Amino acid sequence: MDGERYTDVNGKAIALDQRRHASFCTEFTVSSPKVSIGKVMVYTCSVWLLAYAVFFLTDNTAVLSSAIIITLIGMMLYIHLVKVDHESLLVIGSLGVQLSSSYASGRESTSFIEMSKIKDIVINEAVHMHQIIYYLCILLRDPADPSAVSSVVPLFQSSKPKLNCLVKVYKSCQEIISKC
Amino acid sequence: MDQLRKRAARKPAPEADTAASSGPNGRHSICMVSDFFYPNMGGVESHIYQLSQCLIEKGHKVVIATHAYGERKGVRYLTNGLKVYYLPLQVMYNQSTATTCFHSLPLLRCVFVREGITVVHAHSSFSAMAHDALFHAKTMGLNTVFTDHSLFGFADMSSVLTNKLLTVSLCDTNHIVCVSYTSKENTVLRATLNPEIVSVIPNAVDPTDFTPDPSQRQGDRITIVVISRLVYRKGIDLLGGIIPELCLKHPDLHFLIGGEGPKRIVLEEVREKYQLHDRVRLLGALEHRDVRGVLVQGHIFLNTSLTEAFCMAIVEGASCGLQVVSTRVGGIPEVLPEDLISLCEPNVRSLCAGLESVIAGLRSGAYPSPTAIHARVRHLYTWRNVAERTEKVYDRVAGEEVLPLDRRLLRLREHCGPVAGSIFAFLAVVNFLFLLLLQWLFPDQVMDMAVDASGPRGLWGPPKRDTMSAEEAAAPATKAE
Repeated sequence: MDGERYTDVNGKAIALDQRRHASFCTEFTVSSPKVSIGKVMVYTCSVWLLAYAVFFLTDNTAVLSSAIIITLIGMMLYIHLVKVDHESLLVIGSLGVQLSSSYASGRESTSFIEMSKIKDIVINEAVHMHQIIYYLCILLRDPADPSAVSSVVPLFQSSKPKLNCLVKVYKSCQEIISKC
Repeated sequence: MDQLRKRAARKPAPEADTAASSGPNGRHSICMVSDFFYPNMGGVESHIYQLSQCLIEKGHKVVIATHAYGERKGVRYLTNGLKVYYLPLQVMYNQSTATTCFHSLPLLRCVFVREGITVVHAHSSFSAMAHDALFHAKTMGLNTVFTDHSLFGFADMSSVLTNKLLTVSLCDTNHIVCVSYTSKENTVLRATLNPEIVSVIPNAVDPTDFTPDPSQRQGDRITIVVISRLVYRKGIDLLGGIIPELCLKHPDLHFLIGGEGPKRIVLEEVREKYQLHDRVRLLGALEHRDVRGVLVQGHIFLNTSLTEAFCMAIVEGASCGLQVVSTRVGGIPEVLPEDLISLCEPNVRSLCAGLESVIAGLRSGAYPSPTAIHARVRHLYTWRNVAERTEKVYDRVAGEEVLPLDRRLLRLREHCGPVAGSIFAFLAVVNFLFLLLLQWLFPDQVMDMAVDASGPRGLWGPPKRDTMSAEEAAAPATKAE
């Protein structure tokens, strides 16, 4: 959509797609690259080589068949539960925010947060897996005390875009939120 | 983690780093590292906080790295945008982290790189994290400063070992700061250092926090205040000997003891044995803000420490206008002018004699008023002065060269003996290889540079709602995943 290139915190290229449906309604989609065939090959080969090594020592063919089953089930679980292709954030002024993520298998999970529950959207820092990263999150209002924050919903959890991408999303979100 | 796109294993270039280190108009980026920081309370903690605040005021950039305290982990901001990283490292003993020399490298490197740190300033020789940070900073080619806050012995087994570790840790550190001349002497001997790279910068107190208020004193009695952790090092056993002796002689004498620790039982026993419940009050642990309220109730401040590098407590006591009686140990004789303090030997008889003479002086009104004492003490130790002197250390360090790996190994071998030297030279090599691996896995260029929010000119200065940027909103509710 625009010329700027974005990467995630590990330096992999990601794409940010911004669609303005109306002045009060914007959708952001962050797409991670597809699973690379090289990566699949490496994992499959390593499991099978290991299985073959064990087979060589034990002469038990069950090892080989179980390796095949483990690879297949592992791959299925990975694309169904772990690998996220697109994560999108739909902000509709005065109505709410919809978060959805579509997995590589085609499964989609969607959740919606009402605007009345949202206190603010901010960029924050966290320690994550031996790294310190920026992330975008929604602050939820505490129903008992409107000035307090009850919990935090992190956005773009699996794609983890870098700060320049987060700032762009943040600014558009603030534009919409500040109007209502 | 395993997708490797950029093979940018940049070797640390000390020359480039030192050239960039002072930045425009001598501005340093300093990372204070210590295991001890708020919410833990103590002298080191407040030293780091106050020094950082004054350095920020002078236009430097300061961040603090410490380990996570319970639920307090992740990134927090204090006054003036002072950023504190509470890193999730395992605590082993006495709030000090476990050290393996390596496991803290990924996180500390992340902090150093994303904050653009040029000087790493580690505090306290008890802190394993501080030593780790020095080790990693030297591997990464950053300038290092170390502040020692305590004194050590030489004789027993544990001091022999810690002294050896200190020798190794400090032998290639650029500059060392001690809090008193006694402490300098001690550190130079312990770590076999060149005295020229050791500076003395005393601690300070905030004089506006410790003002006298004679109206809080009770006229019909003389109150002796003791505020310290109730541990062996602070000479609580001596205190246990003093209390019954003096209480017997002076019926109007009261003790007010603030602090908590394993030696509390000694004082409770004394109180029980001599039926002194109405005259010896044990207040338990005190918040720093409550200390002044306790100090102003007293006439005499008693310090019974057996070892002390620089005693902040006696300066606080004197600043509140109390007469100070203290043991003559460590750096204490340097702290206050002679007429404001009575120094005694660290035994019960000498301390009792010292207290007796002060009590007699109080009864006859021989001492200046609390306000007069406060006026003299308030200019002796200020944090601004400490910050100015520390700044000079940074200026000097920024111009120095960080030893490249080969010379660092030679220095370790020469300086620390063949056995320990070789072991640590090996560790330094492994650490360097680990750093190369990390630089390959997570290249420096890929890391987001942290937004600088500190200082009066920082993004968090006077809030401007109309031009609110992402960074301004990043403050509330910091949370670690």
